[in-house]
Amino acid sequence: MTMAGGNEVNLNECKRIVPLNTWVLISNFKLAYTLLRRPDGSFNRHLAEFLDRKVPSNSFPLDGVFSFDHLDSTTNLLTRIYLPAPLDPSRHGTVDLTEPLSTTEIVPVLIFFHGGSFTHSSANSAIYDTFCRRLVTICGVVVVSVDYRRSPEHRYPCAYDDGWNALKWVKSRIWLRSGKDSSVYVYLAGDSSGGNIAHNVAVRATNEGVKVLGNILLHPMFGGVERTQSEKRLDGKYFVTVQDRDWYWRAYLPEGEDRDHPACNPFGPRGQSLEGVNFPKSLVVVAGLDLVQDWQLAYVDGLKKTGHDVNLLYLKQATIGFYFLPNNDHFHCLMDELKKFVHSIEECSQSKSSPILLSL
Amino acid sequence: MKRDLHQFQGPNHGTSIAGSSTSSPAVFGKDKMMMVKEEEDDELLGVLGYKVRSSEMAEVALKLEQLETMMGNAQEDGLAHLATDTVHYNPAELYSWLDNMLTELNPPAATTGSNALNPEINNNNNNSFFTGGDLKAIPGNAVCRRSNQFAFAVDSSSNKRLKPSSSPDSMVTSPSPAGVIGTTVTTVTESTRPLILVDSQDNGVRLVHALMACAEAVQSSNLTLAEALVKQIGFLAVSQAGAMRKVATYFAEALARRIYRLSPPQTQIDHSLSDTLQMHFYETCPYLKFAHFTANQAILEAFEGKKRVHVIDFSMNQGLQWPALMQALALREGGPPSFRLTGIGPPAADNSDHLHEVGCKLAQLAEAIHVEFEYRGFVANSLADLDASMLELRPSETEAVAVNSVFELHKLLGRTGGIEKVFGVVKQIKPVIFTVVEQESNHNGPVFLDRFTESLHYYSTLFDSLEGAPSSQDKVMSEVYLGKQICNLVACEGPDRVERHETLSQWSNRFGSSGFAPAHLGSNAFKQASTLLALFNGGEGYRVEKNNGCLMLSWHTRPLITTSAWKLSAVH
Repeated sequence: MTMAGGNEVNLNECKRIVPLNTWVLISNFKLAYTLLRRPDGSFNRHLAEFLDRKVPSNSFPLDGVFSFDHLDSTTNLLTRIYLPAPLDPSRHGTVDLTEPLSTTEIVPVLIFFHGGSFTHSSANSAIYDTFCRRLVTICGVVVVSVDYRRSPEHRYPCAYDDGWNALKWVKSRIWLRSGKDSSVYVYLAGDSSGGNIAHNVAVRATNEGVKVLGNILLHPMFGGVERTQSEKRLDGKYFVTVQDRDWYWRAYLPEGEDRDHPACNPFGPRGQSLEGVNFPKSLVVVAGLDLVQDWQLAYVDGLKKTGHDVNLLYLKQATIGFYFLPNNDHFHCLMDELKKFVHSIEECSQSKSSPILLSL
Repeated sequence: MKRDLHQFQGPNHGTSIAGSSTSSPAVFGKDKMMMVKEEEDDELLGVLGYKVRSSEMAEVALKLEQLETMMGNAQEDGLAHLATDTVHYNPAELYSWLDNMLTELNPPAATTGSNALNPEINNNNNNSFFTGGDLKAIPGNAVCRRSNQFAFAVDSSSNKRLKPSSSPDSMVTSPSPAGVIGTTVTTVTESTRPLILVDSQDNGVRLVHALMACAEAVQSSNLTLAEALVKQIGFLAVSQAGAMRKVATYFAEALARRIYRLSPPQTQIDHSLSDTLQMHFYETCPYLKFAHFTANQAILEAFEGKKRVHVIDFSMNQGLQWPALMQALALREGGPPSFRLTGIGPPAADNSDHLHEVGCKLAQLAEAIHVEFEYRGFVANSLADLDASMLELRPSETEAVAVNSVFELHKLLGRTGGIEKVFGVVKQIKPVIFTVVEQESNHNGPVFLDRFTESLHYYSTLFDSLEGAPSSQDKVMSEVYLGKQICNLVACEGPDRVERHETLSQWSNRFGSSGFAPAHLGSNAFKQASTLLALFNGGEGYRVEKNNGCLMLSWHTRPLITTSAWKLSAVH
């Protein structure tokens, strides 16, 4: 833990950088999460569930979006699906699961993996439910949010397996199809650990010939044994500490493993090369005040080096969790880029690796 | 202070999305400052489940900083007790939640010798709940089976969509390769009923369509059509498996009774059968145990420090709830209080005094665990027949009273003035707590089709949750137990229809306007309920959810029963 004196300076600066209610929100999470993590690596799951703010789905549209939960009884996987409200009010409250989303337009389907460092939150957590609804209305997508199994109760590779099952399920739904060719236009997306899951599910999809149109990684959770510059420089300064990152990796990775395990460090010494494979294009969003950024930037480099299409959105003054509240420019910038990314399907060739740098 | 105001740098996109109780904000331009009224809660945080007054934002931030500093300075142990020993209440209200923790870490200086601890800190005596009777921990893992494919399937014929029903307050979702199980924490109104779809085989939807169409025909008095459909349902049900078959069969039978005006087996007749069925239901699935557990926890907390306590149980039955409470009282620090129990129940068909027998058994237990015990049983056809004068109430300075009702209050709703009378009696009793457990669903709407739809979803979920239960004898009896409720709901009307379930928000309104205020259940009850659930089917599928200080037992994300606790609101 950082020293009291050092804390004071940092807290003040951190408070200046984000709106006050954002600061309160994320600091509250930080506090609660600290209570829940035990030094021996176990996790106070009961208290976590008690503290988590959850919201129900709604089959009647609210603010242009409706949602429902789906349970796959063979895999016991729960997902929450978010759809734009039908224009015709007489169709409110009904879902025609035998019809595609559209026979003329393409409607991208985002499979979303919520964050929480593999340990926290659920698909029905208020912060993520709200975020998914915003994705529907702002970016014009359908969202399938996956309630994957969490650590430490369920370690690697459970989350990835759940992600893979979700992908297969989504791909096989008639009612998620769109476009003239009637297929499911899938993107994988996630923040923090969800971004890590998205990457790994994409790798498996590539290996098994399942088509994914793109990956959206929102300050994805990666790491490694080495301590990078950003980790040293930003440790404890903007809500996150290296110590807590370590805890979550210990909770997720198989016991006895270190952070160079490929799940944590995909392009590290034990990583799998993606050379010559048909990996989907990626949009990687990095928050400039996130201590994990060096690993995220290394990830971007790793993709570029093997010739894959990757757009980097670097938000210099953003902290983690900037996208939970729409009260800042980073949020709007993210939504704009995301929207462009998923609707660019008709454009034939994207220029490879066109990084977008934004200083805010 | 100006710093508390929120500067919106861009248009508000979807800020009042689901979950918010406030109306949509206006769009703010780039340079405008939004002046927020002092009393208002921050809307953006509100949407995310946190209630913080805008005027208090800076103070809340300060508390967060203070806690952080204290955590930084405290040793590992000092911090850990905030997670293990502290009972947390209402984490949505950040101000008070943070305050409680600050008080824990920094107890106020003016503490006299005896008890310097914050009253919210619980000793972990509550493990005593696991040492007795039915709540003894089951060694090893419970048998864990995946829930069967639940059939509410797609119709490949032209009739693809279920029509929304007439009332805007309910709707129907047409599932496709999916069945319907409702779930989730309900914090919104009825018009946004949460829904779960489950994979299933293809024939299920035809069945659901037929059921719905039949109900619609019944509602519009088209009995010829209804009759034809009921027969069709019979054939279709047989082709199903598992939960769907059973649910469909019960609903079909109930519809048939309604169509042919066959009065269903009278609810009043055989209480020994009812009791037996309830025992099996008690064993098979966690619903009753959850109800008892959580209610007992609230009662135990309300009885803290009291030397003489009295529980008035509106739902006595076999008295299954009380051994655990008595054991917890016996193990209480400082010794047990003297415990009085008044059990109320309907008359037995064979005129046996079964309430008396139950009392005797409990007296034996009390003797064994050295708790001073007094018991009185009352027979009443309806709770509305009770008067406070019958209950031999003693002055509240000498005796603390708790009133308990598990799955009984809704039965009063079919009788004019029924619930009001009972509330009146409860207020005369002046209990320190009134624990109530009810089914979490609206089966009491004015439109038959709506009730039918809601209950179809509800019981489908309930039956699906039973599929994982190991013992087939218990399971069958549980299904019969639930089947009787379905029959009453669908086939009866007027005062005969007693299964008039309502949701927490409906009950909250009733309690609120009758002079009761909520007494929140805390993280302790939550944790113990969660632990209890883990004993059933490995906990697979069952969840405890918190909702406005009440606890709900859900199957996946669909809440099925709710435990709430109430106290008299301050008079004058």
